Amino acid sequence: MSDLKENLKAQIIEQLNLEDLTPADIRDDAPLFGDQGLGLDSIDALEFIVLLDSNYGIKISDPNEGKEIFQSVNTLADYISKHQ
Amino acid sequence: MKILAHSYVCPKGTFLNGKLVYDTAGEENPLKSAYQQLGAEYPKFYKMDVLSKMAFIGTELLLPFFPKDADLENDLQLIFANSSASQNTDNLFVESYEQLKNPSPSLFVYTLPNIVTGELCIRHKWYGENCFFIEEAFNPVHFSEWAQMALNKGNNCCLCAWVEAKTNGEQECFLFLLTDSEEEAYSVELELSTLIKQYRNE
Repeated sequence: MSDLKENLKAQIIEQLNLEDLTPADIRDDAPLFGDQGLGLDSIDALEFIVLLDSNYGIKISDPNEGKEIFQSVNTLADYISKHQ
Repeated sequence: MKILAHSYVCPKGTFLNGKLVYDTAGEENPLKSAYQQLGAEYPKFYKMDVLSKMAFIGTELLLPFFPKDADLENDLQLIFANSSASQNTDNLFVESYEQLKNPSPSLFVYTLPNIVTGELCIRHKWYGENCFFIEEAFNPVHFSEWAQMALNKGNNCCLCAWVEAKTNGEQECFLFLLTDSEEEAYSVELELSTLIKQYRNE
């Protein structure tokens, strides 16, 4: 699981063009959206959907699901490990 | 009209009213370094394009110099300009769909230069007018004419910027705050022209 989280952090940085950040800057439990954590927004949610599809073969058909899945690296990793 | 304060952000450093405040010469990531030295907590900074990052840092430094009695929320006019629009990000976006076969939404949102002014307005909750011009080179007369029009309409002050990120890697953001003044002989255009030359070491 820890390898998955580290990979996810690297993929988030690449996919979202967060070139100023390193994986060490992203806490496992930090909120990804809103003013806390990474401060991501709805545009970035689209990036996460693409990331899950292209890197893990997981398609999210219900956008409402994203609110739960994309809360943090922990929730993302948990969802991937259960749906891959 | 007079200049209340000015800042300059470029890879070698960040300057406020002519003085170096963040030395970033030789840094691998100068803008990240300047942001960290600034100490602002605004994670959205990391998502911004280069234009927005430079303008963000330079604007944060100018905040103490805004007129205390100004209604910034409604009466601050932003007048920005550059010569290459958002070409840097445009190229990255093209690369994302031509080479990586994955059009990037997070890049796409920065494929307009005036997103810079939007980022600043969101950050500071400014709801006044803003404009972004594409010009061949820094033109102090154009800035002063537009600022004077805004001030004549009743705006308290104008935040102006020449914010440029060329595809050859040259980057600079010259921000200056203009407000009304009764000093008739004062030449804002001449001072702006002199200031940017000093910052550029020309």
